[in-house]
Amino acid sequence: MSTPLLEINDLRVSVEDREILKGVNLTLQGGEVHAIMGRNGSGKSTLSYVLAGKAGYEVTGGTVHLKGRDLLAMSPDQRAVAGLFLAFQYPIEIPGVATMTFLKVALNAQRKARGEAELSTPDFIRVVREAAGELEIDTAMLKRALNVGFSGGEKKRAEILQMSLLKPSICVMDETDSGLDIDALKIVARGVNILRNPDRAMLVITHYQRLLNHIVPDKVHVFADGRIVKSGGKELALELEKQGYAGFDEPALDSATGLAS
Amino acid sequence: MPAEWGIKIAGAHRFAMKNGTPALAAPVAGLTAHIRKGPVGGANEDAVLALNHALVRSHLGLEISGQTDRIIQIDHWRGGPAAHVTSAVQIEVAAGASATVVETFSGSAAAHLGNHATRIKVGDGASFTHIVLDKSDHISRHLASFDYEIGADVRLRSLVINDGAALSRTYISANFGGSGSHGDFGGLNLAGEGTHLDIPLDIVHAVAGTTSTELFKQVANRGGKAIFQGRIIVARGAQKTDAKMMMAGLMLAEGAQILAKPELEIYADDVVCGHGATCGDLDDEQLFYLMSRGIDPADARAMLVRAFVEELFDFLGEGDLYDVLHDVMSGVASDWVAGQ
Repeated sequence: MSTPLLEINDLRVSVEDREILKGVNLTLQGGEVHAIMGRNGSGKSTLSYVLAGKAGYEVTGGTVHLKGRDLLAMSPDQRAVAGLFLAFQYPIEIPGVATMTFLKVALNAQRKARGEAELSTPDFIRVVREAAGELEIDTAMLKRALNVGFSGGEKKRAEILQMSLLKPSICVMDETDSGLDIDALKIVARGVNILRNPDRAMLVITHYQRLLNHIVPDKVHVFADGRIVKSGGKELALELEKQGYAGFDEPALDSATGLAS
Repeated sequence: MPAEWGIKIAGAHRFAMKNGTPALAAPVAGLTAHIRKGPVGGANEDAVLALNHALVRSHLGLEISGQTDRIIQIDHWRGGPAAHVTSAVQIEVAAGASATVVETFSGSAAAHLGNHATRIKVGDGASFTHIVLDKSDHISRHLASFDYEIGADVRLRSLVINDGAALSRTYISANFGGSGSHGDFGGLNLAGEGTHLDIPLDIVHAVAGTTSTELFKQVANRGGKAIFQGRIIVARGAQKTDAKMMMAGLMLAEGAQILAKPELEIYADDVVCGHGATCGDLDDEQLFYLMSRGIDPADARAMLVRAFVEELFDFLGEGDLYDVLHDVMSGVASDWVAGQ
């Protein structure tokens, strides 16, 4: 088999001396979509931030390779250029930065870093229009300041549009379904499905099985207490939906109170 | 004298003020210009302004009547051996007239001390925009005073930007003397290393029924000091005054200093006045978001600094007249960021 797109080996991460990730192992091949499910506080979002290189997380052990390259040695911008994209659970609002300006700077920064020619303004506008059309995104939204005054659905759609424009190899979607009604969820899922291709892998982090009806994963991993405790096919998500996370938590739940003992 | 001097604003009707000496430009409809002996009028207790009155030999007088679509530029330039350069301008905007005047300061490769004063009278029903940009060399010292005498039903917009002299004091004073007038006062201090920039502001709402906003932004880097001292006086009987003053500071490094001192003196009992101040550094979450899209740290920081100051230029809006100005103004901010 060729070099995996993403290979995580025994990843251990602490925040202020508290271990959050306790040995994560995960391998994504080109074309694969993996879902990570788990309850709040299990470390799912920490994994996404560590992959993207956010400050404040201390990697105490393990390795992460993106197409064979040491991801953890790179700064956040280098990771993006190398092909990693994090769709934020809560996309950040930046007043004073026009969305189109931001998209152009980001796209050209990545093209430049890869040694490709920067796009001229007309070419850039054409590329954005095409991508927005395909994803059914109203371009009027792009005239506003970045994420400012966007509804929850608009923010997530804007993330998917960025993903489409930046053409990453690895997409990490951190609870992309949170705060979305069913119609917005369908539009976002449709966008994600359009972007599935053999040269790209996706890691979909979610609480709920609902999203996985629309983005059907190849594999499902159950996350509990900082590690993957069970992996399976898409049917595992249905099982979780029925039984809850109770059987997967460590330490086991107290049967009388339903609380961790 | 270098062939290239001053600051170019495309399409502007330009008056040169080289080393404080006014020169006339070709006539244009709606605008009359004179060179007059002595200082501009008006009494003021400010020491720097008093010095200007005592020393200035002649001043440029502009009378604006009707609508002037072209930007009027007064291009102050200081050059040659170091000197104390005193200059003055008087602008009278007739009732119902409308104009935009931009004063730019540049030059001074030697240690000049500039002392400039502009006195502006805005007539009833007039609409006036006044933008002041200091791009003098770092080695110079820049003292400037701008005074607005505001009639009734006036729309006034004032914006000062300091991105030049290492030591500058830009004193802004305004008197609302007629009801129904509104003024927006804005300012930006960009203080890099070894820079001390001070904007004292005195606004007097002298009669009932006038409103104003004051928005001043300050960006300071290591070893830079930016100061805003804003005073609003609401005179006895100036009921229904509405004045809102805000200072927002951005500190880019340890060792940056931003000072703000608001003062409200209110002698009427039916008014709305407020003031606020914020100060902080760049937002780590915003920086991370930009970097996570492949934008390198320096460019990400530059984008956020520009975003911080952009609000001051929003009023320039759209249209040919303002595109030029907007480019000049936002260029100032991005050049500064690039140079840090």
